[in-house]
Amino acid sequence: MPEGPRPGTVTGESKLNLQEEGRKVLGAFYSALNALKLYPVENATVQQALDELHSLVTRVVKAEAGAELRVVGDFFFLNETRLRLDLSNFATFGSFARALQEHGIGAVEILPGIRRDEWAPFIAMLLRKPQTEDPFENFQIGFDQTPVEHMELRPEKDVQEPEHDEEALTAAKRTYAQSVKAAKDALGDVRLGKAVNVRKVKRAVQGIVDQVISNEPSIVTMTTLRDFDEYTFTHCVNVCIFSVIIGTRLGMTKQQLYELGLGALFHDIGKQRVGVEIINKTGGLTDEEWNAIKEHTTEGLLVLFKMHGFADVPYRQMLIAYEHHMKVDLTGYPPKKRDREPTLFTRIVAVADAFDAGTSVRSYQHKPWPPDSVLQEMRDNPRRGFDTLVVKALISATGVYPVGTLAILDSHELAVVSHVNPDPNLLHRPKVKVISDAMGVPLSQPITLDLSQNHPTTGQPIRSIIKTTDPQKYGIRVSDYLI
Amino acid sequence: MTEVPEQNAAEDLGAEWDIVDLPVAEVHELFVILGKALRAHQLYDDNNPVRQRFTESLRQAFRKLWQELDHLTLHIEEDRILLETEVVYANDNRSESLAFLFFKDGVREITFLQGIETQELDKFLAVLQKARKLSPEGDDLLTVLWDEDLINFRYQYIDYLSEGVDLPEAGSGNSEMEMQQVLEGELSEEGEEDAQAQAAGAAEPAPASVRQEDFNPTLYSLDPREKEIIAGEMEKETNRDLRKDVLAALFDRLEEPHLPERQSEILGILHQLLPNFLSRGALVGAIMVLKELRVLEATQGILDAHGVKEAQEILDEASSAETIRELIQALYDGTVRATPQQLSAFLQFLRPGAIAPLLRASEMVDHRELQAVIRKSVQGIAGRYRSAVVKLLDEEDPVVAAGAARLAGQMGIVEAGPGLARLLSHDDPAVRLAAVESAAVLKASTAAGALRDTLDDPVRDIRVAAARALGTLRYQPAAATLADIVTGKEIRDADITEKVAFFEAYGLVGGEAAVSTLDRLLNGKGFLGRKEHSEVRAAAALALGKVHSNSSRAALEEAVADEDPVVRSSVSRALREEEGSDA
Repeated sequence: MPEGPRPGTVTGESKLNLQEEGRKVLGAFYSALNALKLYPVENATVQQALDELHSLVTRVVKAEAGAELRVVGDFFFLNETRLRLDLSNFATFGSFARALQEHGIGAVEILPGIRRDEWAPFIAMLLRKPQTEDPFENFQIGFDQTPVEHMELRPEKDVQEPEHDEEALTAAKRTYAQSVKAAKDALGDVRLGKAVNVRKVKRAVQGIVDQVISNEPSIVTMTTLRDFDEYTFTHCVNVCIFSVIIGTRLGMTKQQLYELGLGALFHDIGKQRVGVEIINKTGGLTDEEWNAIKEHTTEGLLVLFKMHGFADVPYRQMLIAYEHHMKVDLTGYPPKKRDREPTLFTRIVAVADAFDAGTSVRSYQHKPWPPDSVLQEMRDNPRRGFDTLVVKALISATGVYPVGTLAILDSHELAVVSHVNPDPNLLHRPKVKVISDAMGVPLSQPITLDLSQNHPTTGQPIRSIIKTTDPQKYGIRVSDYLI
Repeated sequence: MTEVPEQNAAEDLGAEWDIVDLPVAEVHELFVILGKALRAHQLYDDNNPVRQRFTESLRQAFRKLWQELDHLTLHIEEDRILLETEVVYANDNRSESLAFLFFKDGVREITFLQGIETQELDKFLAVLQKARKLSPEGDDLLTVLWDEDLINFRYQYIDYLSEGVDLPEAGSGNSEMEMQQVLEGELSEEGEEDAQAQAAGAAEPAPASVRQEDFNPTLYSLDPREKEIIAGEMEKETNRDLRKDVLAALFDRLEEPHLPERQSEILGILHQLLPNFLSRGALVGAIMVLKELRVLEATQGILDAHGVKEAQEILDEASSAETIRELIQALYDGTVRATPQQLSAFLQFLRPGAIAPLLRASEMVDHRELQAVIRKSVQGIAGRYRSAVVKLLDEEDPVVAAGAARLAGQMGIVEAGPGLARLLSHDDPAVRLAAVESAAVLKASTAAGALRDTLDDPVRDIRVAAARALGTLRYQPAAATLADIVTGKEIRDADITEKVAFFEAYGLVGGEAAVSTLDRLLNGKGFLGRKEHSEVRAAAALALGKVHSNSSRAALEEAVADEDPVVRSSVSRALREEEGSDA
């Protein structure tokens, strides 16, 4: 028995499933918008849509003592819950997001007591053509003249993603540590020829999926923990995390994310059948050694056949292990004789694998590449053989400067990227933690700066990144400033 | 879903409620009904009215509860479940206890939300049912609950798997002054690079940072068209045959002769996969395995002797009686579904060992379409392995022997003659019949002698078939026997079909020599001036029609105007046959 209960992943005290309710609410907004676009307000279709919207929203308001719908970049939040898009609803949500953003609206708060007759005026206003100048201000003026009393609006510029809280970060740490341990145990068991506890691995992947869905930034922060000694295990977990993140950007369902994450965690399991002395060799590899390493993809396929504890043969995970170095044009390894096309899941893991490997110190790569350079190379060099859409999905998640990038600002301050900007137009202007002043003197307490902010007087960015650099040069572990 | 409760949660929360207000009795009743519904779920399938009734009772119980509560939160202990501090369920029998089912996997609190009774009750019961049957090395309740992703059922648990795990902590960062020197060095490098660029003729220094006007967001995020492409890729992914891709990978690597140990490992995997495919009706995968192994078996230089032997074992096992029996049974009772094309394609790859079980199946299965597929496939295999069919004539199983006999006739396997002859004295009448019919088809003269001995078989159909067969073979040595039969007493007690069969055989076999006897039977008068029975006379007429001679025609013409209409009709028929042969 454990010493005492330990906290697990938190989903709040709400007795409503906000993920589910939020998606329904957005769907209802979309339906009401469309209905009012086509028909007059008295029309039965419009009335029905408004009834549905009112019913859903009041349910949330009653359970949560209020409801705030916030749009930040490509994401919707209902209260603190980020709503997951998938391929069945991204068009719907996108349409509603645009309707808000065109009027400069970042958040809509619905107060207890909202009346049924307040919806039509609000939605009718959303359908009006926005003003090009100060769209929010103009909208607010018109809005104030409507009979709507139980809604409050906030402009885009004042709306941000919910802050990390300590609880979320602790949950992320626990998930990460548990996953690294599960990976270590599983890979160790394979190397020793013992039975793998598949259940532990499954739970670890489920935890990662939950964490990515509920609080992606906190689990991404964990990937900056680059432990050289534990590289093999942290790499598996990082690839799992990045893969699941890419999967969410591509609109995968929870079950698909789990399948993807499981394959990602096991993608290098075949290396357990390659000699440790070759895996950890610091110098260049001989041809024979390189050929031995290349066998790890086939060995991974074979190892997974031997694992018990899966409901069915894990074909998808086997293909990921087998294909992840093949490249999209099949010029990688292992060589193919029969026709094949790497699965989408494989292509995702290949991208995640290369990104994490490229940005890590390894036995044969003492100097990792800066994350932004890795991303650029992956996207722009076709010889690397990555699926460019998948790379784009990764960049849309990590930003141009991923979390953990060490950057020099135009002020000559050193800063660590701490948050990606959720606005796709501002991916190059993340939030950073400034860790040294312009002279290079370390700050006793890092300062958080939002590089998307402009100076109120000049209108110019308050800071910009002029280059990225290698943390090793400075003796820095970036995770020290993030976790 | 997984916020772990405080130790004294039940007591703390209890302070907010009056115990008197809690619907303890209703919740207790709910668990009684839940137990019954779960049991019904275990014993009966979806459509069973008993199961449906218990599920509906549970639904009603929840509805009744929702009149008093918005949600139902319960605390889990090892052998009981509590509503606040009140016990609503208790069972110390661990194998049956719902409380222990949750408790052992760490669940300490469960909450039912309104809506569970309308949307997710069956799923919830299925989860509990599945949880009872989990194996120690497989999933646990928590992984199953996660997979099901129930909206109206929440749970909190202690995660045993995170025991002994240290959480990562931030270090102190770097406070060393070396950072300053490194930064200075780095910045002066930047300056030098800019100066060099300018000296080389660059108009102005490259921008120091990514400017908003230069930033092209389309390079970094997916536009709607690209999202459509991804949606298409996901659709493709969902419909993809993963087994086929995995098999292609295995066979690609199997064809590498420089790694015999790996080849052996792969063959071992294929050996396990094949029954897995068959049990799931994945015949496409099974076909691929058999097809590829057949090619490898026959190709020199890829597999060593041991590998070839392993491949052959897999092929032989796929063709074994047990495998075929399992597959046919599964197809017949619908456990496995496959199209006729898939089944046919699979069966064609089988070896001779499959013929016997398939023959048996083709006789025993009463599903017409399935039977047709099996029969066609058997012919296909038999076509490649004719000698195997001949061997099966000596099979102990009479169903197989009869099937092999029929198959020999259908396939025109003349080498089967001696085997068929042996079967003519088989104990089983079905076998004898099959042998007789095939001997006739094959015109197997080697069986003719034995056929003659079958003319007095105790089974009427066999006698008839034997007579017809001898007639087809025109086996002259049987003439005397046939003459005895047609003039004997026993044939007069036979039915008209048997009479005709024997008489016609006599006509065919006896030829001209038979005419006088047949004429006497048709036109002669017996004791007291009576003629023969009309069926005998009709049969004699038909027999004369087989002779095709002047004397046979003359005998027939004598009876053309016979007063007996049956005789007259047979005579006409016989004469027409004569005329037809003349033409």
